[in-house]
Amino acid sequence: MTEEPYRWLEAVANRREYVRDQLKGGTPVFAVSLPDGILLLGVGGGQSKVFEIFDRQALAGLGHPADIEKVRHAIIDAAHMEAFTRAPEDVSLRRLVGYGLGPQLKANFEQVYSAPFLVELVFAELGATPAQDALVRLHFDGTFQAQNGGVLVAAANAETEAAAQGWLQTQLAQVADRKTAADWLLQAWWLAVEGKSFTESVPSEEERRAGWRRAVNGRMVEAGWLARSSSRPARYETLDPERLIL
Amino acid sequence: MNEPTSIAGDFLTLLARHQIAPLRVEPSAGAPVQTQATTVFAFHFRDGVLMAGDRRATAGNVIVTDQVEKIIELDNESLLAIAGVPATAFEMARVLQTSFEYYRRSQLQILSLPARVRALARLLRDNLPMTLQGVGVVVPLFAGLDHSQSPANPRIYFYDPLGAQFQAVGFAASGSGSVTIRSVLSYQERFGQPRPSEMDLKAAVKFALRLLMVASEFDSATGGVNPQVQQFATLKLLTAEGVKDVDAAQQAQSLTDK
Repeated sequence: MTEEPYRWLEAVANRREYVRDQLKGGTPVFAVSLPDGILLLGVGGGQSKVFEIFDRQALAGLGHPADIEKVRHAIIDAAHMEAFTRAPEDVSLRRLVGYGLGPQLKANFEQVYSAPFLVELVFAELGATPAQDALVRLHFDGTFQAQNGGVLVAAANAETEAAAQGWLQTQLAQVADRKTAADWLLQAWWLAVEGKSFTESVPSEEERRAGWRRAVNGRMVEAGWLARSSSRPARYETLDPERLIL
Repeated sequence: MNEPTSIAGDFLTLLARHQIAPLRVEPSAGAPVQTQATTVFAFHFRDGVLMAGDRRATAGNVIVTDQVEKIIELDNESLLAIAGVPATAFEMARVLQTSFEYYRRSQLQILSLPARVRALARLLRDNLPMTLQGVGVVVPLFAGLDHSQSPANPRIYFYDPLGAQFQAVGFAASGSGSVTIRSVLSYQERFGQPRPSEMDLKAAVKFALRLLMVASEFDSATGGVNPQVQQFATLKLLTAEGVKDVDAAQQAQSLTDK
């Protein structure tokens, strides 16, 4: 079937539709660069969503847990090989995603006889200053976008993702502490999960706060922190959600 | 991405898949003079384990440097004291550092203390050809946290050059200067007031520095401690909370305190 070019295109388009359909139930994950570090946040229904990669790198993802695990292992393997054969300072998201994961996901996505990866991911890399932080958005088909600092969202739906990101950019512009930032991220999470608008008739702050607190009941709020100042090489720590936000 | 790792979380397996063997070096008959000789030791004090080492590296009768760090933090809960050929010892430390962190990050749990202890034994065994030829001998000390108790308990291990591992009850020492201080440690452990295991941090630091001063009296390959020229040792602590440094200022202070 796929030896004919137009059939191959059709097969790839079908895969795209299939992946998007499978990802529909996933809830957004976030990464935001702050003066003291980078906060990554997700809300899971039992499986983890936020992970450490290397000394200054972390990821947050939504999708099939087994696929997130495969991607996580692949990038951890690559990061540690790079650190051992060169130096820990040489581990960079630009290389890990741009030359490693991105092309691998693309190749996998276009091989129509193998199962596609059901993942949407954000990666974060700590820099010396917030302006030097790297945030990378990687899609299931291997496309990726990188930015310095700011906030990045990965959601199952592209429109929701763009709206949430635009809204958070404005709300978080003056936010410096991670507790306040986590609260805003959870407000955005709730708006996205509830399918509410980020631009028109946005529920009040009070309503949003009450909304996310209700919605996370029975779920696991997961937060990871890459600390800008630390005496240790490994900057990542898992934050206790009870102390962070609740 | 789809290739399974044969032993999950094992960094040496990952290296082997990439055909990298960090300690496999073919020795040559005309091997150069290796820098070695040292004094490193560890003992239990009231709050945990103190591990100390002088900072001198020698090659024959030549002092190469007095700035070597022989006590290496492998991660937040294990320390390695290196004695022997630095090139091999530092490579072992690098392999262990990467292995422990790789395991923790990939398996989402820390490597157990017995596995850490054996990981070092495995590297020593891999280094056997170099050890037998006398050009790559490493006789390290290891300290790690035992999580089978709460709070976690720091333990000290010492090794022979072939990789056999032994747990030290009170203290362990290695290197050319260790003969001298082992006697002092043994005396202090049996008859001392206080015993090392009863010392508070200040007393333990002072005791460790004095041990290095004694070692350097009898062993020219041990750098010793000389506060008058700001020459101090590498001192690290392992407690239930993790690894901490004792910096030069703290060392100087401990020697002036009564």
